[in-house]
Amino acid sequence: MAGTAVRTARARPRPPLQKPGAGTLTRAAVVAVILLISLFALPELLSLYYVDAMTQVAVYAMVTLGLGLLVGRVGLVSLGQVAVLAIGAWTAARLLFATTLPYPVVLLAAGVVTMALGTLIGLPALRLRGLYLALITLMLAGAITVVLATANFPNGGHGFLGYDASSVHIPPIRRPSIAASDPAYFRYSVIVAALMFLLAGVHIKTRPGRAWAAIRQSEPAALAAGINVTLYKLWAFALASFITGVAGGVLAGAVHYLYSIGFPTQDSITLLAVVLMGGAYSLWGAVVAALLLQLLPAVLHNWGVSADWLTILFGLGVLQVLTTAPGGLADQVPKDLARLGRLLRRHLPSGAGG
Amino acid sequence: MPSWQDFQPFIVSGLALGGVYALSGVGLIVLYRATGVVYLAFGAVGAMGALIAWSLVNASVPGWVAWLVCVASAGVVTLGYGLLFGPALAKRDPLVKAVATLGLTLVLFGVMDLLWTTGGGQSRAITLPTDNGGFTLGQIQVTWTQVVGLGAGVAITVVTAAFLRYTKLGTAMRAMANDREITATLGVPVRRVEAAAWLGCGLLGGLAGLLLADLVALDATTLTFLVISSLAAALIARLRSIALTFVAAIVIGLIHDLLTPIQSLSNYRDMTPFVLAAVALLVLSRRRVISLSREEA
Repeated sequence: MAGTAVRTARARPRPPLQKPGAGTLTRAAVVAVILLISLFALPELLSLYYVDAMTQVAVYAMVTLGLGLLVGRVGLVSLGQVAVLAIGAWTAARLLFATTLPYPVVLLAAGVVTMALGTLIGLPALRLRGLYLALITLMLAGAITVVLATANFPNGGHGFLGYDASSVHIPPIRRPSIAASDPAYFRYSVIVAALMFLLAGVHIKTRPGRAWAAIRQSEPAALAAGINVTLYKLWAFALASFITGVAGGVLAGAVHYLYSIGFPTQDSITLLAVVLMGGAYSLWGAVVAALLLQLLPAVLHNWGVSADWLTILFGLGVLQVLTTAPGGLADQVPKDLARLGRLLRRHLPSGAGG
Repeated sequence: MPSWQDFQPFIVSGLALGGVYALSGVGLIVLYRATGVVYLAFGAVGAMGALIAWSLVNASVPGWVAWLVCVASAGVVTLGYGLLFGPALAKRDPLVKAVATLGLTLVLFGVMDLLWTTGGGQSRAITLPTDNGGFTLGQIQVTWTQVVGLGAGVAITVVTAAFLRYTKLGTAMRAMANDREITATLGVPVRRVEAAAWLGCGLLGGLAGLLLADLVALDATTLTFLVISSLAAALIARLRSIALTFVAAIVIGLIHDLLTPIQSLSNYRDMTPFVLAAVALLVLSRRRVISLSREEA
């Protein structure tokens, strides 16, 4: 995994693998139960409306995962992730129209192309840090949005862009044959998302994760410790772009039709807002963020509440997170629950366990 | 290739646009130097001011009252945000402060979409009385609004530079730009100076919103993200020099509008500020400095 990493001179023997503690086992069990429920129970229980919404949740969980990695693990704030998602969706749509390649190959290709572009853009941008990096990603996202608005998404036309302005019957973007129906495609997206989370988890547990943690703490200190800061920052950019590109590929099949108006710059800001609210420091935060971003609007729409209230809520949420709760919901809610539990135990009479 | 004749009207409109970008950029820099906040809600407060003005004019309130309310409301919202969240975030990273203003942007965005729905394809417009008059320069028709746009840019740049140089408050702001703590120990009422910077920046935001609503379009999204263009000018000046911001803003405005008659590039003209800012940032940051301070990139 860390083959290209800086090789340090000391060849210390690896510590023996520790036995997984009770916490790890519980966590694995929780993940397994959630996966099983979403794979088998949810498609049966939910109406098609909510199955579609949950497919979007699975897609955006990957996007928030990518941004969460950058923000929470490495401390790089990107305000252009929706543009990256659009690149992934564009690539996948182009390949799906042009070829009969199997869907997983297309997803992989979308991820790799997005990764290459993201790295290409990231390489010069990495000279910048903090505020300036965030602002330049905002600028680049704006530029990509302008290009997309002119180039449009492929709709089965010919040429490199694959866009045919005159075509009346736009063919839908195809789905894998094993996942043609909406519930099946939902399962497909959940599996892809789970794989991406696994990929991210492996990175965090191994050498890149430790390097990122060092960089986040202090870049000069990481440099002094012999960490190749540029390499690992670029690595994070590449990984996040890859994951977001794959998400774009899944999105292309989920919606069947793509329009450049569906990827406004504003969404990149909302995305950062929900990632911060969900909690950038844990993988759960990415799931919470995706639920906030995609399930909540669907629920509100069902209730006839304007989505604008949600925008306002996200704005207030960002301010709240930044001023009082840097860990976000994924960190805050368990803590609050524990506090509530302690309070209840203290105030309830004997028998409650004291 | 279009002839020189085709370009002429766009020189004028480009200069007007550049002037408004310049006054926005100056507002952003003053606030950044005084408080360390890159105010990303600048466009949103301007947009809301312009929408309020539009509603007032529609309710047959006299125009000048509506315009004053537009500028004042932007100032009040900005000042309110500054008083509420400024102190709480004062010691945080500049990045955190900037992201927090994105929170305000989202709130304002939601409020604007709720109150001024954009359904039905109806379009709003603000017409200033300066739109009607004008003069011809050679063969180019120039409206007074365009003159006001450029004039306001020049005036704000000069006045702000003089203000920072010669007044007590301006000196205090420059001191805060260097070090907030030391300035406070010297007896400068830090909070009050910051409040003044917030208010000034907000008022400029309202003015920019009003002018852009007339020169470009009255639409929440458009106006909110026009801040990025003025931010580009400020970034080219590395959030430091007011004079450089002015020049960059004029260049951005000119290039943007001069690309309009060129068929092949016309669609891409909105990229101008992004591309210029990105290139400028990358060139300027070629010398990579590693420092332990979190202040500078």
